[in-house]
Amino acid sequence: MAVLVWFTVGVGLWHFTVFFPDRFWGGIVGALLGAVTGAMITGAISQIAIGESVGETDIATVLYAVPGVLIGVGIMWLIGTRHEPDFDPYEAPTGRRA
Amino acid sequence: MGSRRRSYIVLGLVLVLIVASAYAVTSKPTRQGIDLAGGTELVYEARATGANTSINVEDVDRSVDLIRERVDALGVSEPEITRIGEKQISVSLPEVQNAQDAIDQVGQTSQLSFYDFEPNVIPPNPDITDAIERPFNRLYDAVIASQDQKPECFEKGGEPLCTHDGQYYLFDENSLELLAGPTSAEQDLYLKFDGEQPEGSVVEKVPQGYVVLQEEAPPDDPATDANESDTGIRGWFLLKDRPELTGDDIRNPEQNFDPVSNAPNVTFDFTDKGQEAFAEVTERIAQRGLAAAGVQGQTITAEQAASISDSFAVVLDGEIVSRPIINFKENPTGISGDTGAQISGNFTITEAQDLAEFLRIGALPVELALINQSTVSATLGQDALDGAIKAALFGLGLVVLFLLAYYRFLGFVALLGLAVYALFYLAMIKIIPITLTLPGIAGLILTIGVAADSNIVIFERIKEELHLGRSTLSAIAQGYRKGIATIVDANVITLLTAFILFVLASAGVKGFAFTLGIGTIVSLFTAVLFTQAFLAVMGRSPMMRSARFLGAGEDQREWKFDFTGMSKYFFSASGIILMVGAIAFSTQQLNLGIDFESGTRITAALAEDASAEEVRTVLNDAKIDGIDQAEIQSVENEDFGANVIQMQAKIPPDQAVEVQGALSDAFGLEGGDQGFQNESVGPTFGQQVAENAVKALIMSLLVIAVYVAIRFEAKYAVPVIIALFHDILITGGIYALTGLEVTSATVAAFLTILGYSMYDTIIVFDRIRENVPRMPRAAFSQIVNRSMAEVLTRSLITGLSTVFLVGMILIFGDETLRGFAFAMMVGIASGTYSSIFIAAPVLTAWKEREPTYRARRHHIEETMGYVPVFPEDNAVARIEGHGELGEGPEQKLIGGGPPVATEVPADAPDARPPTGAPETGPLPSDGTEPSEAVTGPPGAAETDGSGASGEAADPAVAHREAAHRERRRQRQKRRKHGRNR
Repeated sequence: MAVLVWFTVGVGLWHFTVFFPDRFWGGIVGALLGAVTGAMITGAISQIAIGESVGETDIATVLYAVPGVLIGVGIMWLIGTRHEPDFDPYEAPTGRRA
Repeated sequence: MGSRRRSYIVLGLVLVLIVASAYAVTSKPTRQGIDLAGGTELVYEARATGANTSINVEDVDRSVDLIRERVDALGVSEPEITRIGEKQISVSLPEVQNAQDAIDQVGQTSQLSFYDFEPNVIPPNPDITDAIERPFNRLYDAVIASQDQKPECFEKGGEPLCTHDGQYYLFDENSLELLAGPTSAEQDLYLKFDGEQPEGSVVEKVPQGYVVLQEEAPPDDPATDANESDTGIRGWFLLKDRPELTGDDIRNPEQNFDPVSNAPNVTFDFTDKGQEAFAEVTERIAQRGLAAAGVQGQTITAEQAASISDSFAVVLDGEIVSRPIINFKENPTGISGDTGAQISGNFTITEAQDLAEFLRIGALPVELALINQSTVSATLGQDALDGAIKAALFGLGLVVLFLLAYYRFLGFVALLGLAVYALFYLAMIKIIPITLTLPGIAGLILTIGVAADSNIVIFERIKEELHLGRSTLSAIAQGYRKGIATIVDANVITLLTAFILFVLASAGVKGFAFTLGIGTIVSLFTAVLFTQAFLAVMGRSPMMRSARFLGAGEDQREWKFDFTGMSKYFFSASGIILMVGAIAFSTQQLNLGIDFESGTRITAALAEDASAEEVRTVLNDAKIDGIDQAEIQSVENEDFGANVIQMQAKIPPDQAVEVQGALSDAFGLEGGDQGFQNESVGPTFGQQVAENAVKALIMSLLVIAVYVAIRFEAKYAVPVIIALFHDILITGGIYALTGLEVTSATVAAFLTILGYSMYDTIIVFDRIRENVPRMPRAAFSQIVNRSMAEVLTRSLITGLSTVFLVGMILIFGDETLRGFAFAMMVGIASGTYSSIFIAAPVLTAWKEREPTYRARRHHIEETMGYVPVFPEDNAVARIEGHGELGEGPEQKLIGGGPPVATEVPADAPDARPPTGAPETGPLPSDGTEPSEAVTGPPGAAETDGSGASGEAADPAVAHREAAHRERRRQRQKRRKHGRNR
């Protein structure tokens, strides 16, 4: 059940990434992967650290996933800006004729 | 062949099929599942038995055949015995209300074996006189004593004789009473204890090579009670596991009467091998008796010899049923067995008949553990059926009325299509035959929605073509030509979902999947072929020339909404709903029903009024497991009875019948067995239902993603999956929030939502795919906006039609169907919403990153200063500069909708869209090469990645098309106004 909670938190918070300029690595889908993966990782780490089983959930289970979402989305943003430093979704692409 | 002639042939074929279907519907009975007709369903899981230490499919199939013969012998009409997966067997017995009888008849393994008794028995105290005739008083003692023996599998002629490789028993630690067993696997002991060893219990094992057998029942006459143990309770013998013969060595068993005592017995013949073995062992026993008698053996009478002769134990399912002696005086060389033998064991006539029947049919090659048992009252089944029929009729009626009101004559055609669909479908149900169950009816009702939607998709296309000025015949032809690909894609998705459900899901959901699959195929035939042929034939009639008659009289509704631009707000709304769902998942959790958690749900119509506490006390006294935690409540159900109680508890499947007996004894049941209904799920079955649901979900996602990637493009598959997660999480969140019970019917609904959501998304994506090459210079967001504006009407109408159907199930359906309908209702709303406001915007955001679409967007922004919502609002000033289209920014260049004069001058860089522009980022400065950013080279259309080519990709041709469309539209308007005057 905890896994379902983390996954839902990841998907839920990902919806708000549309308010940021699309500089994520892999775009909006990359942001989703970052959000869900981050939620799962910090959720699992917290649950294990506290010594609860994945079947036990409470409001804290939701909170465990939130930092992971932020970190995951942040990482995807950083990768996006480093791998594609010249990418600007609002600019025409260079080096290619349209 | 001309299209008209082909249409007549199709109509002729349909007519023939209608007559054949009508005959099938009226002449063949409908096979109803036990949830409608009432009856008993048992689900068994095969476990290894005897030397057969592993289960294979052949053993289970053989068991299915044997059970079928047993059930046929019971005289049950239309039973269904099927293998589920590799190890499970489902036995459905319509109209059988006495579950205990069914369990006794069906699941009895009837393992028969014959032991040479005296050399094999291990007495509790070998030192006392007559030690071998004295059994252990308690089973526990016999089991413990067996542990002093060295495990070994005895052999005869090189063949192993042992019937098991170790048997497990579960005892109460204090009372040492048997709690469960014997079983061949330790874990099986815990089946009725939620899969875990109960506290205060102890597990003991009888090693391989030894068996503990219950002493034979004493004869009816206490005066001749020679075998009863000293305590007056039937004792237990510990024997070396060396059977001389088994049930396979006998033939022609029959119930007969003992010629001396006239007691019922079972007589039988031996097979050749059995006869040889029987003769050999009886001779051995006789010789042993003679040797024991010594010198007196030649002189004593037969009566005296009987008291010192050894015996032969006939063992049935772990119990000695008789132990005849082999009198060495009467049979000094044993018994040849050529005239057969008999089993006597204080049987009643019925017991002897049953035993003979079991021996005739044969012992089951595997041990069967009852993991799921349900009994449905015929009264409640009929109520459920009535509700389902009402829901189907009212739902269908509402859909038809709606289609008639909206599409006029086309609605009438849809009505015909649906009527033919319903007739064909019913005929299929009767001819195949499909056992109609409640989930199956839910699938049927849903397919009405699918069938209606196929019509809606095409009718919307026809209306579009009519609004473009095409003639009726041409519009019909174009409507079907363009709609068919969409319908096929959407229906293939539904079929894939149904197929995966059918293969992976549990039995109840299988029925739903099968009816959904059949319905989808039939609807493709009726909604596409039949209605097309009908319209093609009717298309030449004068009345068909009126657009109004076809529901296309008014100007086409134009959705002027910035779907992609406003998606941020819809994303936020979804994000908030999902976060609420996550909190609900974590704090409330899902209320999983007994299908997943295991347990028993009982509805009983008591003859006397009884409170919940009185019921609990009675069941406590009856030592029913898990009754302390039972939820017991009185419910109102006048059709069923005046005093109806409902309870849900962790009662093991094999104790459900004991509950029935206890309630019947204490309070009486209205209508006898008819007043009791239960559904009982063991932990194994519940776990399997959950696992299958997850497997079905994952498989569906994978298969559908692959299909979408192949039919569309890999990037189209990802938003489809995201939209699915969105819908399922939202529906799940609402279940957690409301605390509604999640059952296997809910799983079916979830998976249907999956199919429906994808169906809807595919319709939207299909239009986007179609519009991409038609709009070679539009930004992707514009293409998506235009596409959604074109399909929104269809989405709403389809959503509404399905809501009508599901709404009727909510009103008229029984508890199972209502649970299904609620999930569907939420899912449909979420699916329609996510197709438009989640899937399409995600696709837009992803596609707009592609260089082609970035270039287009940049070009439009540079030209107009902003990106209009719809492609038809794009100005063409720069194109004119290239000398292709002449002067004037008002010209239309591309776009699927009617031309609208562009009011924003192309050279006004500061101009902003009136509402919700899709992009709010900085406008490009002058850093881009005008020649690239504006119109591009002549081959630009071929590099847009859309595969565009030919006329539509050429701006000049597109312009001519748009102008042509406008002229046709004007002509049509003039004609219409003329008629109105």
